[in-house]
Amino acid sequence: MEPKSILLEMRDYIAEMGAETLDWCMQCGLCTNLCPWRLVPGETGDAFNVRLMQRLGQVGIEGFEEERVLFACSTCGTCQHNCPRGVKIIDNVRAMRASIVGGGMPPAGLRPVLGSAHSNGNPWSGPREKRIQWQEGLNIPAFGPDTEYFLFVCCHSCYDPRSMKIARAVAQLLTKGGVSFGVIGAEESCCGESMRKLGDEELFQKLAGANLELFASRGVRRIITTSPHCRWSFMNDYKDLGADWEVFHYTEILSDLVKTGKLSFTAGRDGRKVAFHDPCYLGRHGGIYDAPRELLAVLYGKPPGELSRNREQSVCCAGGGGRIWAEVPTGERFGELRIMDAVATGANVLATSCPYCVNMMTDACNSLEKQDVLEIKELSELLLEGL
Amino acid sequence: MADTQGSNRTIVVAGGGMTGLSAAVEAAEAGFPVVLVEREPFLGGRVARMNRYFPKLCPPQCGLEINFRRIRTNPLIRVLTMAEIQSITGRAGDFSITVALSPRFVNENCTACGECATASKTEIPSTFDYGIGSTRAAYLPLPFAFPMRYVVSPAVLGTPEADAIKASCPCNAIDFTMRPETLEVKAGAVIWATGWRPFDTASIAYYGGGRFRNVITNVVMERLAAPGGPTGGRIVRPSDGKPVKKIAFVQCAGSRDENGLPYCSGVCCLASVKQATYLLEQDPEATVTIFFIDIRTLGRYEEFFASVRNDPRVSLIKAKAGEITQDPETGMVTVQAENQATGKISREPFDMVVLAAGMVPNTATDRIPAEVAYDDYGFVTESKTPGVIAAGCVRTPSDVASCVQDATAAVLKAVQACRNS
Repeated sequence: MEPKSILLEMRDYIAEMGAETLDWCMQCGLCTNLCPWRLVPGETGDAFNVRLMQRLGQVGIEGFEEERVLFACSTCGTCQHNCPRGVKIIDNVRAMRASIVGGGMPPAGLRPVLGSAHSNGNPWSGPREKRIQWQEGLNIPAFGPDTEYFLFVCCHSCYDPRSMKIARAVAQLLTKGGVSFGVIGAEESCCGESMRKLGDEELFQKLAGANLELFASRGVRRIITTSPHCRWSFMNDYKDLGADWEVFHYTEILSDLVKTGKLSFTAGRDGRKVAFHDPCYLGRHGGIYDAPRELLAVLYGKPPGELSRNREQSVCCAGGGGRIWAEVPTGERFGELRIMDAVATGANVLATSCPYCVNMMTDACNSLEKQDVLEIKELSELLLEGL
Repeated sequence: MADTQGSNRTIVVAGGGMTGLSAAVEAAEAGFPVVLVEREPFLGGRVARMNRYFPKLCPPQCGLEINFRRIRTNPLIRVLTMAEIQSITGRAGDFSITVALSPRFVNENCTACGECATASKTEIPSTFDYGIGSTRAAYLPLPFAFPMRYVVSPAVLGTPEADAIKASCPCNAIDFTMRPETLEVKAGAVIWATGWRPFDTASIAYYGGGRFRNVITNVVMERLAAPGGPTGGRIVRPSDGKPVKKIAFVQCAGSRDENGLPYCSGVCCLASVKQATYLLEQDPEATVTIFFIDIRTLGRYEEFFASVRNDPRVSLIKAKAGEITQDPETGMVTVQAENQATGKISREPFDMVVLAAGMVPNTATDRIPAEVAYDDYGFVTESKTPGVIAAGCVRTPSDVASCVQDATAAVLKAVQACRNS
């Protein structure tokens, strides 16, 4: 074994970048054990050990910055949720990434993503003015002084044709429920959640600054998001920057509309068996487990089926923390675990409520060639069909 | 009802476990009248449920029996079982204490002949065995129960079975006219020793959340190994009754964990080390693996730990166990852990896993009906009521020997409260 050099400056630098709880870690290894990478075979899973990564960070030893290790975490939060010492593991991962990305060394594969977010305000290389193309054919109101809610559509659902259906469904459901909402449009920028998790703090500050200024100038007080990632960022990252607004995931709003009788569905109209996958950022990070289940229960006249790992124990789709842009060989994708789990329960439809989850699980379903037995649906799409 | 004669010298002891028992006999032997109030129908509490003590590995029955004899031969001690203190009013030297008594449906005529149990058909979960076994609705809580008297569960009230139970008794001891009662006791001091309960490991989702039958807790392991337990002392798998050959102990199951008990109970490591000897003695070919964050066998117990550690059949793995899964076909339970010495992640199957659950003070939920300060976990930090003294595991997690010492210390404070007021 070669001697390792200890760089105390590196340790201090990581702490400065946000790894404030790094020293709380007692190295018990529970994080490494509960990590979804333990559930799949392959080189990344063998290499990525978040306990070790934090150890290297604690003492400033080289090794954590290896690309395959540093960018493997999907920030699913299973480790953090169970950490006996309450270590903010995701902040630590983010800070370690920032120590590299902040120095201008992001992995090659991420450069176009970060570059697009810099220049276009979205990571999908879409022109800014196309941000509202999902609205085509729908009469979506513009957000104005008298509008109650600002609907913030995730960049993924602004530019990805499959994902656009989610934005369209959410908007139509809100309209149907009589919600006063509007969209700002092309001037909006990506919330920056994934960019910050990737360690590009400067880019996040730029995006967040632009949004804070824009939203303030339009008098935004209450936000509905289509993605739980945007919700999380507005509630947490932006709050630290002084934001003072209420943020809701669309499932919270729709669940209330159903309870107050403003929205109803033709219950149990088809015989499909639906199972629900908890998105990490809605569930573990956002604390919302019941709203989507309540909506599915109303729609189908019975509670949705449960995957073997559900609610707090849900397994990540692998789309968080910037992993949506990662290339992962078939057989090593977390999403495949969810597909196998859903198929084993006998479900025909796997519903979820996050654009990243839909994206990752659709890919996994196709790579496993299960698309004939299992359909991946966003909850909003099912609800729209059930109106 | 209240005897005014010498009432301010009476010491009421809440809790008839090892701490309360010790306090009661120490106080009475110093000449102070004692009323011992116990919630369960018998004395002995957690200790009565144990197989053996560490580090001597002797059964707790002899120590308990000595205390029971001291009670039996001392007229100053009055024992109330199935009793709970509801309120404490007044001041040191002049307390008025309300005690609620639940009906036992068996009076002092009982000779413990067991005819009522034979006549009883309904099975109820045995709280003495932590629910792993069951008893008849008419039962003796444990073979060496004190008081040696049967109990009838209210579950059979008003049924033909109740009639059969009553008819079976040759001593006219069954009395279904018993009702809940309250009793007023005057006392000079109160010693609160209501003890502890094991942390609920079913709240740990990644250890199966209580779903896996072959994942048990350390207190259940005591019952499995105890000769008077539900398996007659044979350490077997709960799922299929097969003898356990390969066992794992998972330390800090909920302890030293902000999501469970943030503190160390200080006894679980010794308990697991002790329980390792139960299996190795029963089956010389068995193997034991202990997963730990740190082994905390403090003070003179190090030697006991060393004797087990040096046994070639025992493996100690420095790792907080991660996920535990049970194979529905074979019943084998797999523990996933990252060995901190080697950095390797292992997934090893075992016949049975014992979760080392920590101690939760009963005062975390059942508070003392007097002004008392608690810490965040429910342990008593300071009595704000002179004459009300906490002792044993409601004060701090303790082993049996420390509880006995703490009981003696509490008695001295109680005596002072009676004398000085």
